[in-house]
Amino acid sequence: MTAHFGHTELDAGSEAPRLRIVLSEGPLELRWTHCSLTADFIADLFAGLAARAKIDEDGARHTIGYLANELLENAVKFRAPGDVVVEATLDGAEFTLAISNYATPEMAKGLEGLIQDITSKDPSDLLIERMEANAENPESTGSGLGLLTLVNDYGVRLGWTIEPQAAGASVHIRTIANVTLS
Amino acid sequence: MEIKTAEYRVWSEGTTIFYEGTMRLSGTEAYAPIQEMMDKMLEAKPALIILDLRNLEFLNSSGINLLAKFTINVRKNPGTGLEVRGTTRIPWQGKSLQNLKKLHSAVNLIID
Repeated sequence: MTAHFGHTELDAGSEAPRLRIVLSEGPLELRWTHCSLTADFIADLFAGLAARAKIDEDGARHTIGYLANELLENAVKFRAPGDVVVEATLDGAEFTLAISNYATPEMAKGLEGLIQDITSKDPSDLLIERMEANAENPESTGSGLGLLTLVNDYGVRLGWTIEPQAAGASVHIRTIANVTLS
Repeated sequence: MEIKTAEYRVWSEGTTIFYEGTMRLSGTEAYAPIQEMMDKMLEAKPALIILDLRNLEFLNSSGINLLAKFTINVRKNPGTGLEVRGTTRIPWQGKSLQNLKKLHSAVNLIID
């Protein structure tokens, strides 16, 4: 059954610029460096567009770059085979990014646990709690911190659609992030 | 000691560690050599360690995790103080470095 958490629509006015990038499974050999390359491209492109709306271009480039890089790192690090689809829009000062990827059922379960925490606790307390827990556990991958810094430090609003695939081998995850640029 | 790649450089002078460039490494393991360099400095029990981040343009959340972990380690060593230098010119520093003070209130956070 498909589960929705938070705001999951990529809605922007029909005049709003839109971008769609597909990082294809296969010969592209999707790897870590594609995260920063793609994030930088999106950040440069939309910071330029934001500047036209009198938004601080450097600030916009940084916020969009951090946001896109963190979501792409999650999508690439935890993915099951399949394409990673990136969509972005800018409507006035509202920047929205949607990233779709496939993950293993175990990974999706971990994400659902984190979503429960994010939606029920104070993000600032949760971030510090997670940092303390990571420091105690040498095996910790530090995962979850990216989403928490986005919510707590950048004021990003997150939403998810989690859809198990028919064969049960993978789960389709769409993460939507919205931030008001200033 | 110095760790240098095309994207970033980390080096120490006395008990100050300098960070420069863009660090978007893939996780705890990838950051291990940098963490080792920081931990070694702490093991020598200096009175003060300075992390100079003023030329670190970009750091991903795994790198923020590294700074948080180190801050907690310093907290466990009361004989060593920690000063963290940043700049408001680089947005992530103004947004995320405040969290280090919540982990260890004695951190001297200087953001120019």
